[in-house]
Amino acid sequence: MAFSLVQNDVEKLDRILQELLVQSEANGCLVCDYSGYVLAQQGVDAQQDPLLISALGAGVFSASRELARLLGEDKFSAVFHQGERKSIFICAVNLDVLLVVIFTNDASVGLVKLYAGPATAAMRGVLEEVRHRELTVPVPEHTFVLNDAENVFTKR
Amino acid sequence: MSFINYATREIQLKIVYYGCGLCGKTTNLQVIHEMLADESKGKLTSLATNQDRTLFFDFMPLVAEAIKGFSTKFQMYTVPGQVMYNLTRRLVLKGVDGVVFTADSQWDKMEENVESFNNLIENLSLQGDSIDKVPYVIQYNKMDLPSVAPVNYLEFLLNNRGVRHPSIIASAKTGEGVLETLNLVTRLVLNNFIKTQTGRSPAEKKNLVLM
Repeated sequence: MAFSLVQNDVEKLDRILQELLVQSEANGCLVCDYSGYVLAQQGVDAQQDPLLISALGAGVFSASRELARLLGEDKFSAVFHQGERKSIFICAVNLDVLLVVIFTNDASVGLVKLYAGPATAAMRGVLEEVRHRELTVPVPEHTFVLNDAENVFTKR
Repeated sequence: MSFINYATREIQLKIVYYGCGLCGKTTNLQVIHEMLADESKGKLTSLATNQDRTLFFDFMPLVAEAIKGFSTKFQMYTVPGQVMYNLTRRLVLKGVDGVVFTADSQWDKMEENVESFNNLIENLSLQGDSIDKVPYVIQYNKMDLPSVAPVNYLEFLLNNRGVRHPSIIASAKTGEGVLETLNLVTRLVLNNFIKTQTGRSPAEKKNLVLM
């Protein structure tokens, strides 16, 4: 089965992300799962490519989790990469989902970490509601219909 | 596991190119990137070593209007083929919706192909998936080279499970069979997506409407 979000879920996640951006003075943030799918994002412009940030972020975090396992740690709960101008902070929301925060060095990593905690807790609440709904409410059958085109992709 | 965003009318699906080292997985993505129009593709990103061997993965997003009323985004990945990077292959396979198994058709690569295919089966089972449930296509690559095995031998070796899977003859270097492979795997993934969402395949649904 697919993991699905409806309008209401996305609005809730967006509100949490907007609040996090204001409080932490970060530039952009996104929620993605370990497969690299973007669930919601705020402030990440097309130039930064949310899909790519999500794919790489999920890869980095998964790799760090394996490193933790090799070191006998239960898990590394967060990853922080510091650049000269921009930095990135990645932390787990739950077992399947990650929060990625991008900020310039005018903001402080301490502030990002401080507000990421309550934000991830709020997101967990939203995602638990989604999980509960998926177990109890079936997807309407008429929702998905394939387009008639013979090939999905054609040469330019 | 696919992802549906009803708010943005977007479906995201993950396809992974799998196979032994130097079999042409990255070349497939490079050729697809060259072939498709800008509006259908995003940037191709490769995490490679200095020798251009894939270290972590290659990644390229593709977008299509494959399902009515939704934008369908395919996240295309390759895995590193070298045996020592198995942990990385497992990470990339997580949540996969469809696989292209790229086989190197040269005679001296048969053992590596079989080893890689068995490794795919094992890694899928470690994440609770089964090769018999994940849609996949087998691509017999490098068919432009002189010392390649005949297709019926490759089929005997790699496509010998209970149900025969779709296979394609290709030469990623010249572009032959690359787009066909992409269209075949995306079609399988979409059919499987609709089947798992509704409990019926698109063909069965069509018959129901006709009746």
